[in-house]
Order: sequence, then C-alpha cells, then structure tokens
Amino acid sequence: MGHPMATAVEFQNVSRSFGTIKAVDNVDLAIEEGSFFAMLGPSGSGKTTCLRLISGFDQPTSGQIRIFGEASEGVPPNRRSVNTVFQDYALFPHLNVRDNVAYGLMVKGIDKASRHKSAEDMLGLVKLNSFGDRKPGQLSGGQRQRVALARALVNKPRVLLLDEPLGALDLKLREAMQDELKSLQQALGITFVFVTHDQGEALSMADRVAVFNEGRIVQEGTPSDIYDRPINRFVADFVGSSNILAPDLVARFGGGNVWGSLRPESIRLTEKSAIVRGAVTTSRYLGAGTRIGVMVGETEIAALLPTGTAVPAQGSDVGLTWDQDALHLMGQG
Amino acid sequence: MAALADRLSDTFWRRPRLLLALLLLPPVLWLGVIYVGSLFALLLQSFFSIDEFSGLVTYEFTLKTYAELLIPANFDIILRTFLMATVVTIASAIIAFPIAYYAARYAKGRWKALFYLGVMLPLWSSYLVKLYAWKLILAKEGIITWLLDSVGLLWLLDKILTIPVIGGPSLSVSYIGMFLVFVYVWLPFMILPIQASLERVPGNLIEASGDLGASNAQTFRHVIFPLALPGIVAGSIFTFSLTLGDYIIPGVIGSSRNFIGMAVNAHQGTAGNIPLAAAFAVVPIVIMVIYLSIARKMGAFDAL
Amino acid sequence: MPSDQRAPLPLKLFAIGGLLFLHLPILLIFLYAFTTEDKSYQFPPPGLTLKWFGVAMGRPDVWQALWLSVRVGAIATILAIILGTLCAAAVSRAKFFGRETISLLVILPIALPGIITGISLRSAFALMDIPFSTWTIILGHATFCIVVVYNNAVARFRRLSGSMVEASSDLGANTFQTFRYIILPNIGTALLAGGMLAFALSFDEVIVTTFTAGQQQTLPIWMLEELVRPRQRPVTNVVAMIVVLVTLLPILAAYYLTRDGDNIAGGGK
Repeated sequence: MGHPMATAVEFQNVSRSFGTIKAVDNVDLAIEEGSFFAMLGPSGSGKTTCLRLISGFDQPTSGQIRIFGEASEGVPPNRRSVNTVFQDYALFPHLNVRDNVAYGLMVKGIDKASRHKSAEDMLGLVKLNSFGDRKPGQLSGGQRQRVALARALVNKPRVLLLDEPLGALDLKLREAMQDELKSLQQALGITFVFVTHDQGEALSMADRVAVFNEGRIVQEGTPSDIYDRPINRFVADFVGSSNILAPDLVARFGGGNVWGSLRPESIRLTEKSAIVRGAVTTSRYLGAGTRIGVMVGETEIAALLPTGTAVPAQGSDVGLTWDQDALHLMGQG
Repeated sequence: MAALADRLSDTFWRRPRLLLALLLLPPVLWLGVIYVGSLFALLLQSFFSIDEFSGLVTYEFTLKTYAELLIPANFDIILRTFLMATVVTIASAIIAFPIAYYAARYAKGRWKALFYLGVMLPLWSSYLVKLYAWKLILAKEGIITWLLDSVGLLWLLDKILTIPVIGGPSLSVSYIGMFLVFVYVWLPFMILPIQASLERVPGNLIEASGDLGASNAQTFRHVIFPLALPGIVAGSIFTFSLTLGDYIIPGVIGSSRNFIGMAVNAHQGTAGNIPLAAAFAVVPIVIMVIYLSIARKMGAFDAL
Repeated sequence: MPSDQRAPLPLKLFAIGGLLFLHLPILLIFLYAFTTEDKSYQFPPPGLTLKWFGVAMGRPDVWQALWLSVRVGAIATILAIILGTLCAAAVSRAKFFGRETISLLVILPIALPGIITGISLRSAFALMDIPFSTWTIILGHATFCIVVVYNNAVARFRRLSGSMVEASSDLGANTFQTFRYIILPNIGTALLAGGMLAFALSFDEVIVTTFTAGQQQTLPIWMLEELVRPRQRPVTNVVAMIVVLVTLLPILAAYYLTRDGDNIAGGGK
C-alpha cells in the first residue's frame, strides 16, 4: 500500500450534443480506481449518457475520455475492459443462466470446460449456485439482476457500469441488494460506476457521488458532503428533504446574506434558548419519528422529532434550536 | 479470418452508415432500381402511341393512347371490370362479416385457432386449384347441377342462365359463375381484416349499448358497424384491387368479353400495342391509388 | 371483443357454414381425384379408383413441372430470406431517410396486379439481355416473396430488445459474433416461418411466372394449360390434390412457429 490510486475513468471537458441539445455539457470527472462511484440526478440530466460514453455506446462530440490512462476514442465497446449491467438486465432468453454468464468468455474463445467453471464460480459469488440450467424466463427480477451482474463480472472488467440497477426491485429486495452490491465491490476491488435517480441508494452505497443536472455536474463529493453541505438549492432539494432558507432568514440566524439549508433532523424543540419561535402548522407521524412543520414568518420550517419526544399540539407556539454548524451556508444559489 | 471479422466489426462501429448501406444495397438495388425502374418504363409507355401504319411505337409524348381508352369498346372493358370488382367487393363484405363477427366475438380457445387456420389455409391455398375446382363445380355435369336437379330446381338455373348479360350457356361460362368464383377466392382476404378490427372492439361496448336501451339492430348500426368499418375497407382494398387486375378467372370462366387484365395481356405481346397495354395497366393503378387514399383517411391502414 | 353469451344459432350456423364453404371445393377436388369417370367432373362420381395416381406418376411432364416448381421455390425462398432479412434488419435497427418507402417498395411486387409485375420484370430482363431460363423464374418469384419474409422478420426484430444486442457487444462480441450467437437464434423461427410462406407462395404462383418463364413449365403453368386445353382431367385432379397437400404443410408449420408471437405469420398477406 502507499502508492497513489490510479484514475480509472477520466472525463476532460466532455460534451455530447444531439443537434442543439447538450445532453452532456462540459463535464470533468475523475473516478478513482477501486471506488464505488454514483452518478445521481433526475431523468434527462445526462448521467445515463455519461455512462454510455464510458461503455462506448455513445461518442462525445468534444472532449476526451480516458480509461485507465488510455484514450477511449476509436475503441469500440467490445474492446474496452468495461462491462455493463443494463437497466433491463438484457439477459439472452435463448441461453440458460450458465451460458449467459459464460457468454463473454465464449466469444473470446475460451474452451467450454474452463468457461463453465468460471461461470459456476461467479454464480456462487452472487448466491445463485444451482441456477445454471434455468432459463432467464424462469427467474424472478432479483435473480435476473444477479445473473446480469455475474455475466458482467466474470470477464474481470476493470470498470463495472450499472444503469439504474435496483429500479425494478421492490423495497425490501432493493435494500438487500444495496448491501450485497456494496460488499461485492469491496471484496472484488473493481471500480463500480452506477447511475441512479434515487438519492437514498447513492448515499448509502457510494464512496463518492456526482450530482447531475441539465448535463452538468452540479456537485461532486462524498455522500456526507452532498447531504450535509449541498452547494446550492438544487442539490439540497434533490438529495433529501432539507429546509431551504432564503437569505433574509439566514441572515437573521446569523449566517450572512446567503441561501442556507438546515436538515429537519438537526432541529430540536426548546423553551429557553430558541433561535426562532413559530406556530406548529402540520404534524405527521412517520413511525421512526414525527415530522412537524413550524411557521416562521412566511416560511414553514420542518423539524424531525425523534420517537419519545412529546409532540406539541397543532397551533401551539414552539421554540426551535440547532447547532451552529448544522446551518449550512450554500456557496451558490 | 477472425482478425478480419474484428477489423470489419470495428469499421461498422465507427461508421454505422456503412453497415446500413451494405444491408440495404442488394434489396434496394434489385427492387428500387430494377423492378421499379422497369415499372416506370412500362407505365411511361402509356404516354407514347403506336403508329397505325407501321405498327411501331412512336416515342413522342402524347395523350392519344389514353384517348383510345375512351372509345366504347375499350371503355366497356374498364367499366365491366370496375362493376365486377364493386359487386364482388360488396358481396364478399356481406358474406364475410357474419363469419368474422362470429370468429371475433364468440369463438374461444381451440375454436378460435380453428377458425383462424380455417381462414388462413384457403387464403394461402393455390389460386389455380381453387379456380379449377370451381370450373368443375360449375360445369354442366357438375355438382351444382346435380344438387339443383335433386331438389327439382333445375329449371330455376336454366332461367337464371337466360338472363341477358350475366347469364350464359352454362354457369362455368358466365358472369354469374365468374362472380361466384371471385367471391370465393377473395373471401379469406375480407374475413381476416374484418375479424381483426372487430377484435379490437371491447366487449363491454356492446353490453353498454344494450344497457342504454338500444335494440340489437341499433347497436349494430351505431356501435358495431362503424367500428368494423376500417376492417371492411381494408378487406375491400384486397378484393377490389385483386379483381381489377385479374386476367385468368375471366379467361377461364368468362365469355369472350374482355376484362382489363385480359386486355393488358392481349396488347402486350410482340405483335401488339404496348402503349395501349400500358394505358390499360395504368387504370387499375390509378383507381387503387385513389381508393387507397380514401381508405387511409378512413383508418383502414390501422386494421391491416 | 369476446362475449360471454352464447352466439345466436343462425349466426353460428352461418359462420361454420361459411368456413366449410371455403374448404368444400378443395375437398371436392380430392374426391374427383379418385373418380373412375374419365370426364371427371360428373357428380356423383360413378366409382372410386386409385388408378389415376399411377397415370399421373407416369406422366413425364408432370414430374418435370413438379421438379421445376420445387427447385424454383427453394432457391427463390433462400433469396427472399436473405434479401428480406437484410431489409428488415436495416429498417428495424436504424432511422434513416426513406425508411417508410422501404416498406412500400418491398410490398409493391405483391400489391400490384400480377400482370403488371410480370410485364415489368419481363421487359427488365429483355433490356438487360437475360434470356428466359430457370433463373428468370427464380428472380421473379424472389421479388414478390421478399415481402413475406420481410414482414415476419420486422415483427420479430421489433420484439428483440436493443439492449440485448448492446449487451453482446459489451461482453466482447464483434458484429458477426453478435449476429451469429444472439440475433440469429432469436429471429430464426420468424425467418423459417417467412420462408415457408414464401415457398408456398412461390409454389402456387402462375401469373408472374407466365411472363418470366419462356418455354418452361412450373406446376401452376402446367395446371393452367390443363385448364384451358385439358388432356386428362383426372390427372389434373390428382396433381391439384398433391399441390394442396404440398402447400398445406408449410402453412401449418409457419403457423405453429409463430403462434405465440403477437404477429402470426401469414396474418396479413
């Protein structure tokens, strides 16, 4: 250890235009080898296009992309050491699970015995040991996803791309898969790049997150950076339900004349040293806590009260306080 | 070999248009250039005329040949063909509708497949065999005569055959016979589109209509028929166009009177009048183009 | 629009009757193939015999015509499969100028009256100085058979997900490997079905054939001759019966091959 990590994927001023529309607008990116990288954003923000630029199914109109230092221009997808897990899994219906997984090895000319062994090993890794003979049509959504994963990983790619991998799964399965993906990545040490519009996924799995909007990266950093210190209103709004406070309020709270964000869970009820007081307008029981809305002037500030705290009655006047550094001042607007 | 395949594959990825061009080149070359080219060449001939004395084609643009179409002998041919096509289409629609209606509405499971196959097989069955079968059926000693004879209605047949224009010496050489054969041969073409468009009518629409107080006849007129119309029009495209261009059935089961297809055939021989043949050929094409554009407006293309 | 009620009886009778009506004439031919009567269309047949089968087998012109039809059908079908699949692949996979006209172009030979297609091809051959031979017949048949394969192939291509093809590429396959291992297996049955229908179409075709055939006789041309100038009617009956049976099999096969799709082969001729 001790040697610097290589850059697995690098974008230098990359743009992709379709006619007059810029799907990707001057994006710079550096994804470190062995990291779990998330591209987060609403649909149409350019994140999927960026993924396709890495895999080679799309070409940038300007800028350079490097994969482990080598320019990817002119290199077709089948020659890149990049593999993709597609959103609809794209399993081959006419092949059984084992042949699906072994496909990449087959087209490289590896003999049947070896590739079947590798396929079986990989199936074991994704916990589908005895499924080799089944056909994709006989599998559930979660099982199909794992086959797609095995099929991509068996080729020992240097970068694994995942396009909204958990979108089609139900909540319980999704959470289980999040844990599995994370531990798989850590065990294998391969660079994972995945695209999602679900901020919960991005925050829980990724080492670093890039938030996309309208073809640009708005903010890039660790999940904590993104969540606790959003750079502007868009990020604050998109990543979690934060209170976005206008400059005049922020100034009142001692922050200066800028926009600020304040997480509901950092607010506490108090009687004595309240920073601000207001009337309770809404109250919603969430199971894990209660979320109340407090009207301060024209703004409704949301506070999350943990279970056990007494919930004030609707209309009552309450005092709110928070730690000084919980109020995050946004550099941009 | 494998290296070459890889290199080619890379080139196709770099230049997807190249792959596209290669895919399209053989078929488009054959169809677009050779077939359509000669089609145009043929139709172009209709704008030329034949020199009456030498019998050779004069390659000068003229509408004289089209004018020839209007002389009674020729115009009769066009009219005759047009009328037959219309009558055949209407009859086919009337006969096909109940069959298609039953198949769409009431046939289920195995019966549905049976009906489908039952219509598909005759559709693809040999045209000539069907024609031959009818020639035998309609013959004087054939099955129809036998049938009518055994119920004592033979005199009726003889009476029908004496009707001027559509009658004839025997069923197998008469317009009535021709009409029967045409309807028989094109019937599957009418059944399938009607069935397809009827199947698209949700069952509860009919129930709703009854629920709102409509009688069966009213439901038919206001709900079922309009929704089936695109299918009927689609089927009529087939029956109409096929009848317009056919030259074998009128020849085998016709009297000596000419139909468009036969006229084209007659004139296109080496000793014939190619411009006139071309002009005759243009007639069904023009009729069908007009018919098709009306049909498209009525939504028939969605039923195809 | 399925209904839960039972159909009114007259409707049911008419529908089934209509269906039978479609098949009866052909069944009649089968009957006539066994008649002892020479003139052969006398009803009811005076007696039944198998002797005409023997006579038919003994006629060299029947065998020649049959063999020519089979040869033409087979080669035209192969050509139609290749050309039709090429077109279908191009149309399904890419957007390009003139895409809609391809569909029109492909259907034209079969949509126009046979006589027009026949004359056009004949003059094209004359212009290119190609003498009439088996190959002109084959080319003519291939021309109108393309659409049959094309329709089936396009329908199947539509169901082939684009991401599957990308996945193959992503996993390292070049264009040819992707075609061989992924595309072909998934469109195979559609091509087969289209091919069977093309064969049936070619086997029965007479109009375009008369214009592109020169001196040769395919089986339908032979039958047309017999219709106009009958030699031995019963032999014609036997041949007709054979023709129906030979074309029955490919149609049924095509139906079963594409039955579970949303586009059943042959549904739109």
